[in-house]
Amino acid sequence: MEHEELDDFERELKVALERRPAPPSLKQRVMDRRGQRRRPQTTLIWMRLAATLLIVALLGGGLRWGLQQREERRQGEEARRQVITALRITGRALNQVNARLAAHSRGGE
Amino acid sequence: MAAAQDSPLPLPPAVEKELAAKASNVTEVTLGKNMLGFAAKFMNGKDEDEAATRKLIEGLQGIYVREYEFDKEGEYSLEQIEQLRKYFETSEWSPIVRERERKNRETTDVMVKLVNGESHGMFVLEAEPKDLTIVLILGPVKMEDLSKLKGLGGLSALGDVEKDVKPAKKGGGE
Repeated sequence: MEHEELDDFERELKVALERRPAPPSLKQRVMDRRGQRRRPQTTLIWMRLAATLLIVALLGGGLRWGLQQREERRQGEEARRQVITALRITGRALNQVNARLAAHSRGGE
Repeated sequence: MAAAQDSPLPLPPAVEKELAAKASNVTEVTLGKNMLGFAAKFMNGKDEDEAATRKLIEGLQGIYVREYEFDKEGEYSLEQIEQLRKYFETSEWSPIVRERERKNRETTDVMVKLVNGESHGMFVLEAEPKDLTIVLILGPVKMEDLSKLKGLGGLSALGDVEKDVKPAKKGGGE
């Protein structure tokens, strides 16, 4: 009786341990799962890279805008200074005209 | 001084070059309409003089100033002065001051460009033996606006010139 039970167990074990070929879709399924597990990591890397690029672009743009503003202000100040110079020279010339006219008026009286 | 050249100078370029070559000191200011508009943006509206200057230049087409200083007399010829003067002797420009002092070799010309009875430009040519000043202002020049610029080296004198001299006046030298 006991011997029969052992034979049954041995037979079951043999069946269970029998080498069977893997189903053809197994490899694909394993690879797909592996890919699914990796995707979140790749996405994270891309997101980090995109965020870094965005920050760099924003900083670069801000810096460029700041430099442009500074250059525009410098040019504006230079233009303003030239206007003042031009008007000063005009004023001086007209003062001389005025002084001469006044001198002639005095001389004519 | 470097010129801010954004429009061609409406003066005979040959004469300008000759004068600049001989002068020991040259001040050149060339400001076109765009540059004047740009400069106006940088003028403080709270400062009385700057606000008046801003108002004055905003409508102008251009300001061209040339100031030449020479080391000795006779560095420029009367012909050169005449060329400059003739450039503006057109029907558009009316002389309001014309003065010649042959003894001192000093001449003064102030002309205005009149369009429908309104001043649309001013040309000043002030020649002394060792100094030459050329001022050309294009655009509507309002004398009352100029007279408000008291802080700018007495620019208000223009208002006085207009009051003193209505018709063209010849000086005692001629």
